Amino acid sequence: MTLEFEAELALGSFRYEAAFRAGEEIVVLFGHSGAGKSVTLQVLAGLLRPERGRVVLDGAVVFDSATGVNLGARDRRVGYVVQELALFPHMTVAQNVAFGMPPRADRQARLMELLELLGIEGLGGRRPASLSGGQQQRVALARALARDAQVLLLDEPFSALDEELRTALRRELLRLRQELGLTIVFVTHDLREAHLLADRVAVFDAGRVLQFAEREAVFRRPSSRRVAELTGVRNIFRGRLLEGDHAGSLVEVEGLVLRCGPVPAGSQGGSAVDVCIRSERVNLRRTEPDPAAGGNQFGAVVTEEFAYGSTHSLQLRPFGAGPAVESELAARPYEVLGVAARKHWTVELPARDLHVMPVE
Amino acid sequence: MKVRKGADRAGFAAVGLLVVAFAVFFLLPFAGLIDRAAREDGTWDAMTSATARQALWLSLWTSALTVVIAVVAGTPVAYLLSRARFPGRALADALVDLPIVLPPTVAGVALLTAFGRRGLIGEPLEQWTGTAVSFTTAAVVMAQVIVAAPFYVRAARAGFDAVDVQFERVAATLGASRWRTFARVVAPQARSALLGGIVLCWARAMGELGATLIFAGNFRGTTQTMPLAILESFEGAGGLGGAVALSVMLLAVALVFLWLFRLVTR
Repeated sequence: MTLEFEAELALGSFRYEAAFRAGEEIVVLFGHSGAGKSVTLQVLAGLLRPERGRVVLDGAVVFDSATGVNLGARDRRVGYVVQELALFPHMTVAQNVAFGMPPRADRQARLMELLELLGIEGLGGRRPASLSGGQQQRVALARALARDAQVLLLDEPFSALDEELRTALRRELLRLRQELGLTIVFVTHDLREAHLLADRVAVFDAGRVLQFAEREAVFRRPSSRRVAELTGVRNIFRGRLLEGDHAGSLVEVEGLVLRCGPVPAGSQGGSAVDVCIRSERVNLRRTEPDPAAGGNQFGAVVTEEFAYGSTHSLQLRPFGAGPAVESELAARPYEVLGVAARKHWTVELPARDLHVMPVE
Repeated sequence: MKVRKGADRAGFAAVGLLVVAFAVFFLLPFAGLIDRAAREDGTWDAMTSATARQALWLSLWTSALTVVIAVVAGTPVAYLLSRARFPGRALADALVDLPIVLPPTVAGVALLTAFGRRGLIGEPLEQWTGTAVSFTTAAVVMAQVIVAAPFYVRAARAGFDAVDVQFERVAATLGASRWRTFARVVAPQARSALLGGIVLCWARAMGELGATLIFAGNFRGTTQTMPLAILESFEGAGGLGGAVALSVMLLAVALVFLWLFRLVTR
């Protein structure tokens, strides 16, 4: 199963332009609300007609503005779970799930199979209103799959559930993708959810895809300052590129010369760049700064500290030149290092984790 | 606190008194009817007369036909008004409500100017076919439809409005045709509104008097429905006693039908 997507449209003053493709994987559309994620799903499902673009599902062109092809929602084989679920309240669970099933002899068997697949086999005779949020979610998933859909579109499906249920359903989703070879397009504004589920991530902002890449690439090597901000990178510094190539670079940040990752395409020596490092990649050392490490190690003092339970985050200000830095530690190393008792640390910014981005 | 409690109690008593007064006001006329019917000698004879039988039968089947027409033609109109966005939608909305506001006599006169012997299309139609629709049984149904159908359309429209469009979008992604979506997803959720509209429409058709009198006339057997028979009896030979007998009969039949409808559609 493959999916190709390319669309352009305007809704009032909102301009939308996006393109991505997917195989048998989970593609997470990530961004703030109003960034264009749900629009993407509606165009994919055939509920919204773009002005220009092309949508190909499993090799079949379902929309092409150039040739005038436009299959309606009912003729596209996509399962679409909307945020509000929209389970039919007057039907039983079984009737809901069977609603989209093609008329075949083995409907009953297929129904049982689906209910079992989602662990709701005992609920067939119940009405949606009598189910818990998690159960309703499973019914909506089963109903969307009942059409033998190979593409599953999920619009913030777990947003209304508590954390424990979300975890269970995320695990379920990973299993479904594995078992059914589905292409799943998953919309979320939750960073953790995106990280957990995504094979690839499309970062949306103001109707555009800023970056579409493998999960690790998006989270470790954002394409721009905006992507870094959206994906929760706390340390983003403006600097000047001194020299470098595809292997590594030297960037001056607030009077400190840092060894960083590769030079982004198009940036030359002397030009302004942005450098970022995720706070969990910032190391704290008890030893004095190693002169061999150059600017990547420097002494700093803790100015602020936040405890989140499983993690701690520290704000550090350098004694000399260099940027203020946020460092995040898991609870265990925080205790082992004895961070609470000590204010002065050597901050280490590993060169391979300092990612250089062009300035727009 | 004590003062508040006393005020609460006084308010509660006032509301209770109002409710009772209201109920009595509605029940007294019915009690009067039944009391008079029981004391009059000619009640049974009036009820079993050919006039009463004909009028009741005519009322029942014309009102039933009116309901069928209202549902068949009014449901798509109501759905369109609820879902479609088109220029002049507000005007269309107002036009649907217009017959509800107008006195039925106006509707009767209007029908006459359109379909009557000298009417807009009544005149050419008569020249072509040799007959006019006014003062026939068809005119009775037309008068009822124009007066009663808007009640159904209005109720149905409100019912459709209450069904989230998201259900239709989801049904489409599940491969359902527009018709299947309407029949299986929208209509069942609007069910109680539709049934309420049917009852309202039928009741209004059963009670129709003014438009029928003007457009269809008052001819025994062909256009004389129950309300017309009651009016004729009241003004003519039957006197109050005859009118009371027919009224009680209409009341009883209507009550039975409404009750049966409730039972069947529960």
